[in-house]
Amino acid sequence: MEVTSAVRKPLVTGGKTVHDVTVDVCRRVEDKPNITWFLALAASLGVLTIGLYSVFRTLWDGIGMWGLNKTVGWAWDITNFVWWVGIGHAGTLISAILLLFRQRWRMSINRAAEAMTIFAVICAALFPVLHMGRPWLGAYWALPLPNTFGSLWVNFNSPLLWDVFAISTYFTVSLVFWYIGLIPDFATIRDRAKGIISRTVYGALSFGWNGSARTWERYEAVALILAGLATPLVLSVHTIVSFDFATSVIPGWHTTIFPPYFVAGAIFSGFAMVLTLMLITRKVYKLEDYITINHIEMMNIIIIVTGSIVGVAYITELFMAWYSGVEYEQYAFLNRATGPYWWAYWTMMTCNVISPQLFWIKKIRTSIAATFVLSIVVNIGMWFERFVIIVTSLHRDYLPSSWAMFQPTIYDVGDYLFSIGLFFTLFFLFAKFFPVINMAEVKSIIKATSEKPAMRESGTTTQQKEEMESTSKEV
Amino acid sequence: MKQSKKRYWKGLEELRNDPEFVKHADKEFPEYLPLDESKGNSSASNSRRDFLKMMGFGLSAATLAACEAPVRKAIPYVVKPVDVDPSIPNYYASSYMDGGEYCSIVVKTREGRPIKIDGNKRSNVTMGGTNAQVQASVLSLYDKQRLKGPVMNGEATSWSDLDASIRQGLHKGGRMALVSYSIISPTTQKAINELLAAYPSLEHVQYDPISADGILEANRASFGQAVLPTYDFSQADVIVSFGADFLGSWIAPIIYSRQYAQTRKVSPSKKTMSRHYQFEAALSLSGANADYRSQIKPSQEGLVIAQLYNLIAAKAGGSSVNTPEVADVKFLEKAAADLLKARGKSLVVSGSNDPAVQGMVNAINSLLDNYGKTVDISRPAYYRKGSNQAMEQMAHNLEQGQLKGVIFYNCNPVYDFYQGEMIGKTIVNADISISTADRLDETTSQVTHIAPDSHYLESWNDAAPQQGQLSLVQPAITPLFDTRQAQGSFLTWANSAETDYYSYLKANWQSNAFAAQSDEASFDIFWDQALYDGVVETSAEIAAVATAFGGNPASFAASIRENYQPSSEGVELVLYQKVGIGNGRQANNPWLQEMPDPISKACWDNYVAISQRMAREMDVTMSEGKTKMAQVKVGDQTLVLPVLVQPGQAYGTISIALGYGRSKAGKVADGVGVDVYPLVSKVNGYAAYYTTDVQLEILGDNYRIAQTQTHQTFMGRETVIQDAVLSEYQQNPKAGRYEPKIESYSGPTDPDEISLWKGHKYPNHHWVMAIDLTTCIGCGACTVACQVENNVPVVGRQEVINRREMHWLRIDRYYSSDAVEDLKEMENASDNPEVTFQPMLCQQCNNAPCETVCPVAATTHSTEGLNQMTYNRCIGTRYCANNCPYKVRRFNWFKYHDNKQFSDVNTAMNDDLGKMVLNPDVTVRSRGVMEKCTFCVQRIQLGKLEAKKEGRRPEDGEITTACAQACPTEGIVFGDFNDPNSRISQLVAQEKEGRAYNVLHEIGVKPNIWYLTKLRNKDEQEEINA
Amino acid sequence: MKKDNFLIGVFDDDAVLLKAVAKVRESGIRIHECYTPFPVHGLGDALGYKRSKLPIAAFLFGMLGTSLALLMQFYMLGIDWPMIIGGKNFTSIPTFFPVTFELTVLLSALGMVGTFMIISDLRPYGKAKILDLRATDDKYIMAIDLSKNNIGLDEIKKTLSGAGAIEVNEKHN
Repeated sequence: MEVTSAVRKPLVTGGKTVHDVTVDVCRRVEDKPNITWFLALAASLGVLTIGLYSVFRTLWDGIGMWGLNKTVGWAWDITNFVWWVGIGHAGTLISAILLLFRQRWRMSINRAAEAMTIFAVICAALFPVLHMGRPWLGAYWALPLPNTFGSLWVNFNSPLLWDVFAISTYFTVSLVFWYIGLIPDFATIRDRAKGIISRTVYGALSFGWNGSARTWERYEAVALILAGLATPLVLSVHTIVSFDFATSVIPGWHTTIFPPYFVAGAIFSGFAMVLTLMLITRKVYKLEDYITINHIEMMNIIIIVTGSIVGVAYITELFMAWYSGVEYEQYAFLNRATGPYWWAYWTMMTCNVISPQLFWIKKIRTSIAATFVLSIVVNIGMWFERFVIIVTSLHRDYLPSSWAMFQPTIYDVGDYLFSIGLFFTLFFLFAKFFPVINMAEVKSIIKATSEKPAMRESGTTTQQKEEMESTSKEV
Repeated sequence: MKQSKKRYWKGLEELRNDPEFVKHADKEFPEYLPLDESKGNSSASNSRRDFLKMMGFGLSAATLAACEAPVRKAIPYVVKPVDVDPSIPNYYASSYMDGGEYCSIVVKTREGRPIKIDGNKRSNVTMGGTNAQVQASVLSLYDKQRLKGPVMNGEATSWSDLDASIRQGLHKGGRMALVSYSIISPTTQKAINELLAAYPSLEHVQYDPISADGILEANRASFGQAVLPTYDFSQADVIVSFGADFLGSWIAPIIYSRQYAQTRKVSPSKKTMSRHYQFEAALSLSGANADYRSQIKPSQEGLVIAQLYNLIAAKAGGSSVNTPEVADVKFLEKAAADLLKARGKSLVVSGSNDPAVQGMVNAINSLLDNYGKTVDISRPAYYRKGSNQAMEQMAHNLEQGQLKGVIFYNCNPVYDFYQGEMIGKTIVNADISISTADRLDETTSQVTHIAPDSHYLESWNDAAPQQGQLSLVQPAITPLFDTRQAQGSFLTWANSAETDYYSYLKANWQSNAFAAQSDEASFDIFWDQALYDGVVETSAEIAAVATAFGGNPASFAASIRENYQPSSEGVELVLYQKVGIGNGRQANNPWLQEMPDPISKACWDNYVAISQRMAREMDVTMSEGKTKMAQVKVGDQTLVLPVLVQPGQAYGTISIALGYGRSKAGKVADGVGVDVYPLVSKVNGYAAYYTTDVQLEILGDNYRIAQTQTHQTFMGRETVIQDAVLSEYQQNPKAGRYEPKIESYSGPTDPDEISLWKGHKYPNHHWVMAIDLTTCIGCGACTVACQVENNVPVVGRQEVINRREMHWLRIDRYYSSDAVEDLKEMENASDNPEVTFQPMLCQQCNNAPCETVCPVAATTHSTEGLNQMTYNRCIGTRYCANNCPYKVRRFNWFKYHDNKQFSDVNTAMNDDLGKMVLNPDVTVRSRGVMEKCTFCVQRIQLGKLEAKKEGRRPEDGEITTACAQACPTEGIVFGDFNDPNSRISQLVAQEKEGRAYNVLHEIGVKPNIWYLTKLRNKDEQEEINA
Repeated sequence: MKKDNFLIGVFDDDAVLLKAVAKVRESGIRIHECYTPFPVHGLGDALGYKRSKLPIAAFLFGMLGTSLALLMQFYMLGIDWPMIIGGKNFTSIPTFFPVTFELTVLLSALGMVGTFMIISDLRPYGKAKILDLRATDDKYIMAIDLSKNNIGLDEIKKTLSGAGAIEVNEKHN
């Protein structure tokens, strides 16, 4: 039944038919959610509420609740921000760049990956707002709005302002891209819907989609162009985020290597996070046939590549520090590796440079468990990368008189928990109410097979097909 | 549906074609709408318009309501006081006096509130200098802990009742004592004398918390007159100090540092400076500024001085004395040689209170014939008059119950006299005990009658700090509470004819000061002039004092032999005064509590300072102020304090600051630190501020000392600190300069010449500052002055520990290190380091990195070169602070004003009384905004305005910043760089190719602050403890 | 309102549908529209649709974004209120790059998608004209508007089933 090119392994296994795809995906939405889902959602809601308290205190009493000081003006806040933005790269990257490269294996993971992107960007956007001294003003003063103070505009020289534009654009475009993809699938759910509520809701969501050839024609054009737009966009976002540091005068920040280095890191952590979530969803929703070992291996290969790029970047930094002959630059990096925060630096090195190299071994690359663990290790490493860049550069800069240390308070931790809770809550809600797999696209890669018309006539259930599968294997 | 012929009816009526319907068919609304009759039918539309009108009005009304600003009630003057104009400051010349502490000042008042104190340039004594305590004293006026009125037996009472009861009490007779600090006010003394006359059994006892009666005694022995001489450091080419911190706390630091600075100033036209030797145990401010510093134990001091005497006597032909030799005292011979070279132009001082030692010092000074030149005994100074013997006698009598009555005039012996505890216990023995203190302090809380004195800013008074120097104290505000000047009280109790102290003072001046002078005929004019100037120099007769040294070195030596030993194994404890807290009188002043100690950079605490070597031996390490507690045992007394590892502390000695551990000073000071006055010992019968054989034991428990700077060295970063020794400088004006170059296509180039941008011109003014690191002594007066001027909040111990102090201007203190290459080793200071102070404030960079990164343009550059901060635009991203290479930006982590959390420390912004000290020209910053030094832009604007009104450009010196104004050594120069004749332009012009440099020159931010290299008068650059 | 009545051919394989479309058109029958669960490649060409003009729309909106962004920045920092910031020039192209780029992408994307929504009549609560519910599941629908064809009904039916339709049913509404 694998009618896809003989050399390549099938992207979807288990002899799925077009109808099976509909059934398998829609069932998650139509059926009552299983207990695992409830537990997962409860857990993330719990974390969310714990975090909520510390967010409240931060807003009520002020940034002083954090461990920051006159020397270290950013720490966990911006670390979390950059970390989340980085994670938010994979989704769009997968759907956009892989679409341009016609990498069809993306199709069964891009929906969830894009959703993850959007939620990650939401979490990221949380911190720039939270870290402001006066968020109630900053939230809108950072936009070039006409105002009652006369012609008082924003500062287009500031990388932070570029961030505002980059992040919001990235969020909007990713959202649109994601939603466009969802419309046909919503239509599918709508047309299967029994209940009045789901019919109206999904009716509303599906924008009156009827799958006419003309619309599909345009739809594909739109998808392609969006991909074309999203590709430079996704690269620009972390480039601009890296400008926050690269354009400054602080030794350890003032580095021209940052844009490519940050983008690589973003893809690196993004893919790791996608893997983490994929492996969970796959298990919980029994989507093994759609998200195959093949997919996981593909992603792991990308992780090796980006991980190595990041590693090279780290070493280049050290080299440049030495080669530049600037004493501050040299001290900044000496201090990273051997100063009071050496442990953060070496955690970063181990997690980001050494651990991904394990994926060279095919056994590890194709092992679910190993992948899951490593994907988490990588994200820990990437968090520390940002911590190292921000804190160890700031805490000992030019004038030794103001050198200081940073100790996080429970509120630093709490606000971070909040974002994590928010992220998973959103993701689990998505996994329940939205089609986690892009049905239209997956259908397009399952070549309808005239061999088994019987099976398609009677919309057979999966278990039956499992048998079919096993039998067909012997053939 | 164009073609469709369907018809629609407005309703069944139309279908039925009712006449009633047809009547209104043309109208939109079939039935009458509510509207006033007069308009008749045609007004359906009217009503619609009315409706729109209403709606429009409603809308706009709502909008307006939304825009309305909160109402602030301002009550105008009903009858405007003369010369009090809203927003126009008034200045009054006056004098700061607290016991023997004296400073001639100018008080700035706004709407009748004193808000700032500055030095009075007309004074020949203090010459416009101030120190942190003087600067901060204005807040003590608004201290909530002050007594609000007379108190009798613990209950508020009326002055008349109080006076009656006191008169009655005093009339009972019996032995009575009036206890006070040194009285330097002649008129106050006169009033006291009246009281003494009225009650013959009343005797007057003067003492000083930090006594100098040993010096008085030595001078009596040497010159037959128990007085302090006036020192003139400005005339000294060689200065040798034995444990006298004359720049920080010894007798009259304001005066001495001013004089000292004159000898340290170096310019292309004057390439010489005085040489300063310091022999001491604890690293003092003076020690930090010394060219050569040698560590000796206090128990050796006498012998070392005797040794110096011998070295000099040998050459200068004096009889040598016989004292045991102290092995290898560094630089002693060198000092002797230099002193001999500079006879008559040198000065030797000692902080010791042992008459024998001071006598020895006198002997040296007379051998070097410095008398009449750098030391003038014929023009006595009156800062210290107290006698501890008399005080001890008083305490003894009180204990024995022989004293029937005791009056404490603004003094607090229970706290600051070493027998205080006993006095405190036995005050009850007196039938009547009276205090005039302004608060229920340790002493006052024990007495029966309290007649609270007014604050000096509410008082009339005069002072005679030195022979022939008079100055006036005039009130800058009417008393805030029901207080009465103590002098008035004395006169009242003495039933004097004149009980109003103002007229009494005036009369006294008419009969004395006025009579003594001849150039002014009318007293009123003389008086007004005196009030205007604040000071009067009287050609009063020179006291007949033998200027020839009549002491006997041999006898001094004899007593020195008994009391000092050449070497001791035991640990010795040095008691010193911090520059901020001093003797503890103003401990309840949060500005002083939060002022970092110039040397240790610690605030809100006193602690045991131990040497690095000792720390290694007891393996105590300090990081980020984290330290251990230690137990100090002296005789039968045991104290527990935190340990602070202090480079420069002599091995085998520890030091603890006096003035802490107040128990009844007020909510700010109570419980801060530990009181060590009880540890004051006796040597040769006189109070000695050190003790031998002390047990020091490190305890397990941890502690954190609040330090504003925790890193000790400058890591050999030459763009930060550039220093040289005088000899090098004399050859090459650029000695010690580090000039970074950046490689460009046209070879190595000055960083300032490389830029992407054309930059901007400053057409009108260009404000620039220069700071001379050589004259900066690190006293911190500028830090407090800035805090007062700019409403900088106090954040308290915990927040300082969190490294969040708000000082706009800080003084960085860097120690030298023995390491050369190894960056890890460089982090450790030498055991006897060279110290460099560097005032660090916003550099007002022309290419400010902070401006570029602010997303909302809340910090931008003015057309006068100022980097300006727009508080109400700031959203607090802190990006600017991160991107500031000098880390001078300060963030409002919390709401510091009107916030219970800070009401105990930040009193100036949390209670109605304290708020009166705020400078109305400067915003009180809200939570979540960034702030920083503004170059006192409010002063700049005022100066420009004044000039504009008179249609001229501001003159040089007319506009100056609070820090420049407060600096006792005139180390800070501020002015308009566009004015070629301004001091700043001249200075930079002449030093551009010499000592002037920008910190972090190579990063090309083009600061507007120039630093002049730090010069030390050493023979050659040498590693002190190599 | 005019009643529209459709003849609907249901196919269960996209390949079959493609061939059918060709066949049906050859036999001179005008196909109203095809409805498929996923984009069937070549269907548009088979039905003789012209290439979509959306790319042009995207480009134009992009240009609009670029010019708006540049105008905004030059006006705000250059004309309306020039401020000295870090000693830099009031306005400079390099610093305006990021914002310009982002706005270009934003307007281009939103503009194009907006156009797409409008021309293909997609909107929230948009009423879908559904001829066969299975069209979004696994069936491929070919709709023939009888009112636009003057060929006999049976004729068409025959052609359809001949072309491989598994069902042919009429739909009137």
